[in-house]
Amino acid sequence: MKAWAQLRSWTSALLGRRRTEREMDEEMQFHMEARAADLMTRGVPAQEAKRQAKLEFGGMETAKEQCRDAVGVSFVETLMQDVRHGVRAMSRTPMFTVTAVVVLALGIGANTAIFSVVDAVLLKPLAYLDSGGLVTILMDGEDPVSVANYIDWRDQSHSFTAMGAADFWSPNLTSDDAPPEHIAGLKVTQNVFPMLGIEPMLGRLFAEGEDKDGADREVILSYRLWQRRFTSDPSVLGKTIVLDGNGYVVVGVMPQGFQFAPFWATHAEIWTPNAFGARIHDRGGNSLRIFARLGPGVSLAQARSEMAAITGRLEQQYPATNRNVVVTPLKEKVVGGIETPLLVLLGAVAFVLLITCANVAHMLLARAATRRKEVAVRAALGARRGRLIRQFLTESLLLGLLGGTLGLLLAVVGTKALLAMSPGNIPRVQTVSIDTRAAWFLLAATILTSVGFGLVPALQASSVNVSDTLKEGARGSSESFRRSRLRSLLVVSEFALALMLLIGAGLMIRTFAALQAVDAGFNPHNVISIMVSVAGSKEADAGPRETLYRQLIERVRSLAGVEAAGGINHLPLAGDSWGWPFVIEGRPKPRPGETPTAIYRMVTPGYFPTMRLPLIRGRDVTEADNTTAPGVVIINERAAQEYWPGEDPIGKRISFRDDNANPPTWLTIVGITKNAKQEDWVATPFPEVYLAAFQNKDFLGNPKSYFAYITLVARTAGDPASVATSLKEAVWSFDRNLSISQVVTMDGVVAEATAQPRFEMVLLSIFASVALVLASVGIYGVISYSASRRTHEIGVRMSLGATRGQVLLLVARHGMYLALAGSGAGIAGSLLLSRVMAKLLYGVRPTDPVTFAAVAMGLGVVAMLACYLPARRAMSVDPVAALRCE
Amino acid sequence: MDKQLELLQGTLDMLILKAVSLSPLHGYGVLLRIQQISKERLEIQQGSLYPALYRLEHQGWVSSEWGESENNRRARYYRLTAAGKRRLLAETKRWNEMTAVIAGILQATPEEL
Repeated sequence: MKAWAQLRSWTSALLGRRRTEREMDEEMQFHMEARAADLMTRGVPAQEAKRQAKLEFGGMETAKEQCRDAVGVSFVETLMQDVRHGVRAMSRTPMFTVTAVVVLALGIGANTAIFSVVDAVLLKPLAYLDSGGLVTILMDGEDPVSVANYIDWRDQSHSFTAMGAADFWSPNLTSDDAPPEHIAGLKVTQNVFPMLGIEPMLGRLFAEGEDKDGADREVILSYRLWQRRFTSDPSVLGKTIVLDGNGYVVVGVMPQGFQFAPFWATHAEIWTPNAFGARIHDRGGNSLRIFARLGPGVSLAQARSEMAAITGRLEQQYPATNRNVVVTPLKEKVVGGIETPLLVLLGAVAFVLLITCANVAHMLLARAATRRKEVAVRAALGARRGRLIRQFLTESLLLGLLGGTLGLLLAVVGTKALLAMSPGNIPRVQTVSIDTRAAWFLLAATILTSVGFGLVPALQASSVNVSDTLKEGARGSSESFRRSRLRSLLVVSEFALALMLLIGAGLMIRTFAALQAVDAGFNPHNVISIMVSVAGSKEADAGPRETLYRQLIERVRSLAGVEAAGGINHLPLAGDSWGWPFVIEGRPKPRPGETPTAIYRMVTPGYFPTMRLPLIRGRDVTEADNTTAPGVVIINERAAQEYWPGEDPIGKRISFRDDNANPPTWLTIVGITKNAKQEDWVATPFPEVYLAAFQNKDFLGNPKSYFAYITLVARTAGDPASVATSLKEAVWSFDRNLSISQVVTMDGVVAEATAQPRFEMVLLSIFASVALVLASVGIYGVISYSASRRTHEIGVRMSLGATRGQVLLLVARHGMYLALAGSGAGIAGSLLLSRVMAKLLYGVRPTDPVTFAAVAMGLGVVAMLACYLPARRAMSVDPVAALRCE
Repeated sequence: MDKQLELLQGTLDMLILKAVSLSPLHGYGVLLRIQQISKERLEIQQGSLYPALYRLEHQGWVSSEWGESENNRRARYYRLTAAGKRRLLAETKRWNEMTAVIAGILQATPEEL
């Protein structure tokens, strides 16, 4: 208690209370002495004069108390008293205190953790200067645009102070002292960085003119790349580094935490100026993402209508281009996809907090019943009702603050856990932390929660009828109807909330099951992939590259544990997917916008068997399909249906180029495969074509870094991860300068593709389980409490011949009614609320009757159990003992 | 001495303001001043003076400082502040109106109605 004394004296000193007290004393003493002196001058004897002065003055302590009240000194004093009282009350019932604090900590901690994610991902502005004015301009709101279109937009628009473009780039970084590394990067127009308003940490941004042809040999590094590859050495500025075999001068290093682009290519670690060269007339190759800053005073609507006018004109001029160009605020583009899931999670976790409040309110009500005597005595001694309410609220706040403190710890741990399990595609998730904003949220949540669970019990507990309570004696059997109705209401709402959470979790579980049942087309089990890039190595040239690829595949096939192997340029789901237009031999030139388009991949012999992607008709590519043989291609089922409906595509010919400059190179369709998943796990596959890789000049010799690689796939007998090391060793046994990336199992790729629904499912399930436990504890508490209060009645009934079954029914009936009412309310609430989840669901409707029925029944069973346990105890009451007790 | 009158509820503050408006006073002095002016016809709970003084000070209508009393003792002297002066004027006006109205009512005769 020494700490208390110290705290108190400190507070008093702080408020100058001791001085106030002394002065008050002195002032009143002076008054009485002066009065006594006056009386003495009138001839009253000294002793009598003092007595009379005191008498006339009245109660000095009362006066002082009123003085303190007048200036508010007593507020702190009372608070201290209440706190001390609260601490004593809490330490008298340690089980209650610990339970309440833990329950609160769970609720508050979980809310803070989710809030910190929502805050960092959704609420905070993007980390650029005046980021509210930044927009992105894309085809259909998501697809890239061609260089010529960008240039037209930039030159014709007036709504923007700047419009820049970014192009994907992934060079191979080679150096003498470290293994080569495939680095994600971007080619940007010079104006992009100034538009973002972020200064480099070291060096400078790209200068005017550095994005002109022939001058694009500068790079800016990210902080992480600078740390990782250049040991945070500031002298890297001005040095030349080798990317894809070419020298680039480092001109700057961006500050820590800088990220560009924010919604795609988010892992970019290196930037170089984008020189468009001959592409300034290109309206077909769509690869640019456009970023712009709205001019001062220009609204989004104005910019949109201006862009609509420009693109409308351009569409007339160049049909099939410039269709559906969308201007989106950059932040909306970044967080748009994750908004609904996060808000659903935030809502779910708020439900958990509500249940927590209801639960603790419960416990307080039960405890208040045992404290009625204490309250009555205090009221009889003159405590006003407001004073009692204040004391109860202080106790609640104490509980809440303890819970909040523990909750802070939980939030820190919980946030780490959340980040560890969160899918990789949540934007800005790396910036999540428990910061000041999260701390304020926690404090606000704590106070609101404390008032939330404390107010009703405080109002109830303070409204005692003094004489009745004191008269009642030890029995205290008659819990008022109002009180029990309130507790019932709490249980019903807990049940309703828990049911809604369980239905949410149930829907996610059904969604995830449906996702698991999706047929990938291929068999992802026991397959591992490895991406090998030859850019910048001595095998980059046409001849050596083909030799390397052939030998690599052979080497992988011969590895212990490997059953089959093959190669492809872009792995499905994990790799890029390029959509290329093509022409079909003998068909009239298609109308604009109706050009056949397909996803374009290049495969080596052995790829299809390794992936177990079955051929429906025709043949696989073989070793015989080489550069001297006629070109062949395999298409997927979807392409066959789309472009050769009612025809047999086998034997038909297509070409990926057909214009004046390039006469068609015909490729004969020789086989049709089953549809395989491409980019998105749930999307219906697009038409797709597989070219024979060993016939393709780009695959075998194009020096561009986006052609200079192969992705090897290997099917293993056992765990595919176990051959990862020998795969890498096999690659490096040819050349240490080959860069390796994306060593992943296909099972891992599939898991990644379904990571977000899994994340949502796991979190919702955790929240729902907590809710279920809390609600069960709630109903158990109510039933066992009322059973214990009715022991006497049960004794009477049993001695009058009531059977055990009747007693069971008597006790459990109430609880089951509550559970039923709660379930009804919960189902109604779910029917209203579950539609907000629609975007998260797959293969199941928000009002899925199976989920609703299963959850309601499951909850019913739990409720029965929670009622049965206390009821069983009531059944085993010995009537004699029950009657004798009390 | 006539029988003392009990103070009307809420009038003590006004009387204290009036008392200290004449000259700064300590608490006991306030009592003496009121009794002197009223010719000891008002009964004042001496203990209740102080909460009233504290309240008035808290509201900024009087200010206090420690000084020397007539018999060379340390005493706390209260004086009227500018805000207190305004308050006293307003209270006095209100009181006069009130008493006039009430007196009018009490003097009413059947003929006047």
